[in-house]
Amino acid sequence: MIPSVIFGCMNLFLEYEPDFFDFNVPTIFVDKVFGNGHFFGLVENNIFNEILGVFVIISSLIVAFSREKLEDEYISKIRLESLVWAVYLNYAILIISFLFLFDMTFFWVMIFNMFTIILFFIIRFHWQIYSLKKASENEE
Amino acid sequence: MKNSIKVERAKKNMTQATLADLAKVSRQTINAMELGKYVPSTVLALRLAKIFEVEVSEIFMLEDVDWE
Repeated sequence: MIPSVIFGCMNLFLEYEPDFFDFNVPTIFVDKVFGNGHFFGLVENNIFNEILGVFVIISSLIVAFSREKLEDEYISKIRLESLVWAVYLNYAILIISFLFLFDMTFFWVMIFNMFTIILFFIIRFHWQIYSLKKASENEE
Repeated sequence: MKNSIKVERAKKNMTQATLADLAKVSRQTINAMELGKYVPSTVLALRLAKIFEVEVSEIFMLEDVDWE
């Protein structure tokens, strides 16, 4: 996960796109700048960011939803709660940026918004588990 | 909902960890239940009753707030 995130940021901020990733790729909808768009066709695109995006999403899904060593009903409850919480937080941030950010800044927020929901979930879930473990250690 | 898990555990001279192993849950779950932070599922309640060899109603008791 970490390396794909690092490369993803490089790709975003430095516009680092190695040439050997240039391909003609199939697409569902071709949207031409001039003229009419049509369904299904080939476009030339650098697939580096696609590969990275898929890597980031899959690896963070694995991190987020792999089972705990002892996955019982309480842990699953915390898991669900954290997911709901992450959705709320994510959309709260999205609403704020809808209202107060415009043009390219908003576009950047949208890019990060694709990944933040799962990031918030991971942080909140593991923080909860950690504080529970700590709380149950001084008890007996 | 109140529960007497801690009392029953003391009667049987069990630690949270041994009870957790027997009930096949994590220690955090036992801890959270004892502190009243978590209401277990019916299945887990029945399992605990079986472990303690008592009725479920002897471990878990309704409180007034549960009717609100």
